[in-house]
Amino acid sequence: MGTRLAQASLFGVALLIGLLLVGQLRSQARPTEISSLPAQELSQLIETLSNRNRELRIGLADIREQLREYRAAGSQGQSALDVTREDLRRITAFAAMAPVQGQGIILEVDGRLDAIALNDLINELRNAGAEAMAVDSIRITHRSVATQGPIALVIDGVDVGERFTVTAIGSPEGLLATMERPGGIISQLEQFINATIVARQSEQITLPATGLSLAPAVAQPVE
Amino acid sequence: MTGPAWARSLTARRGWAVSIAAGLAVTGFVGAAQWNSSVTREAFTSSAQQVLAGQVLELEREQRELRQQIAEAEAEVQRFQEESTSSSAALAQLNERLAAARLAGGLAAVRGPGAVIEIADSQRVVPPGENPSSFIVLVDDLRDIVAALWASGAEAVTINGERLVASSSIYGVGASVLVNTAFLSPPFRIEAIGPEGLLDRFLLNDAFRGRVGQRIEFFGLEFATAASDELTLPAFIGNTRFRWAVPVDEAG
Repeated sequence: MGTRLAQASLFGVALLIGLLLVGQLRSQARPTEISSLPAQELSQLIETLSNRNRELRIGLADIREQLREYRAAGSQGQSALDVTREDLRRITAFAAMAPVQGQGIILEVDGRLDAIALNDLINELRNAGAEAMAVDSIRITHRSVATQGPIALVIDGVDVGERFTVTAIGSPEGLLATMERPGGIISQLEQFINATIVARQSEQITLPATGLSLAPAVAQPVE
Repeated sequence: MTGPAWARSLTARRGWAVSIAAGLAVTGFVGAAQWNSSVTREAFTSSAQQVLAGQVLELEREQRELRQQIAEAEAEVQRFQEESTSSSAALAQLNERLAAARLAGGLAAVRGPGAVIEIADSQRVVPPGENPSSFIVLVDDLRDIVAALWASGAEAVTINGERLVASSSIYGVGASVLVNTAFLSPPFRIEAIGPEGLLDRFLLNDAFRGRVGQRIEFFGLEFATAASDELTLPAFIGNTRFRWAVPVDEAG
């Protein structure tokens, strides 16, 4: 009788341990619920999402303004032509198919960056709000990616030397602050890749259009 | 060896007592560890966290509405442009160029053959002393996959339905991943349209094999690929209006 009781107790203890272990292991996995994210991460998410939503609101206001212009112009005549022509200028600039100019920052890079580092740098500039970018005279498109070529890094089929310039149009203060923040991309690259990166604001930057055709060969528009 | 019955019984009882004590000790240890990371403790220690989480959810809801409104407004703009096509040869030509630019820039939905790549957090138990973040999909993994796809000739790429365009960033906040404006969760499904052999080239590309490929192997990140004859990828929905960059006319 005593032995059975003891066995039952041990079974209970083992079961409890099993359940707790499962719970403990689950708690090590990525939090799947937003409410289980750390407070610091939630604060950062709030800041980022707020900024992105503000951009979306500005974009929406611009589209509605364009719609007002179309309505005022009617469906024909010079006014409609002007609105459409302006839309074409905007979209070709957005897609890097047309040259653009404006304020921004210039990064002078000296060092053996690998492809991952250069792609990270481009991604960080995009995230900081860069609207258009170039590496030397290579305009960065959505399809541009740095790869390791036989001699040097290559972007869009063009070699990039050990010393090169990354130019980005956007808020000069915002871009510079993001690039130069402690622990940011510049300090990381300088620390881990032994590169020197000098960043400065510029009042007047002009970026060329991409030299590549972005017209897809196999992707077809959905009617 | 064979002592009196009462002595044998005492020895057996001692054995059981030691076993039970050991079991209870382990239970206590695991229970304490569990308490340290339990939901109960989180709720107890951080009600502010719940408030912050509520704000994130509210911002995500607001973003969905904004994107829906942008999509509707953009569709209306395109309707204006298509209607005007029939009214003027100059407008028709302009609209043709506009459609081509939208297609090239990721602002139009596209279909075609390509590859599907899925990656998710590892299901392995995190060994003691290992960094748990090694076993989850990180923002670098997604960047590497996308870089390898572009380098392999992809013409259009989405991550969980988010179309990548010239302004797209893949951004990490802790273990969270943001693509364009959206907060994404695993599993991550990357779809790419591109010329025949895209998947084979992707799997051999250095950008894939160099870092994420090794993490898949070492840490057991869940990973699957498939070639597809027909994928349909949505258009980018978001802000395409520049604040700082001004288009320059080619002639000017």
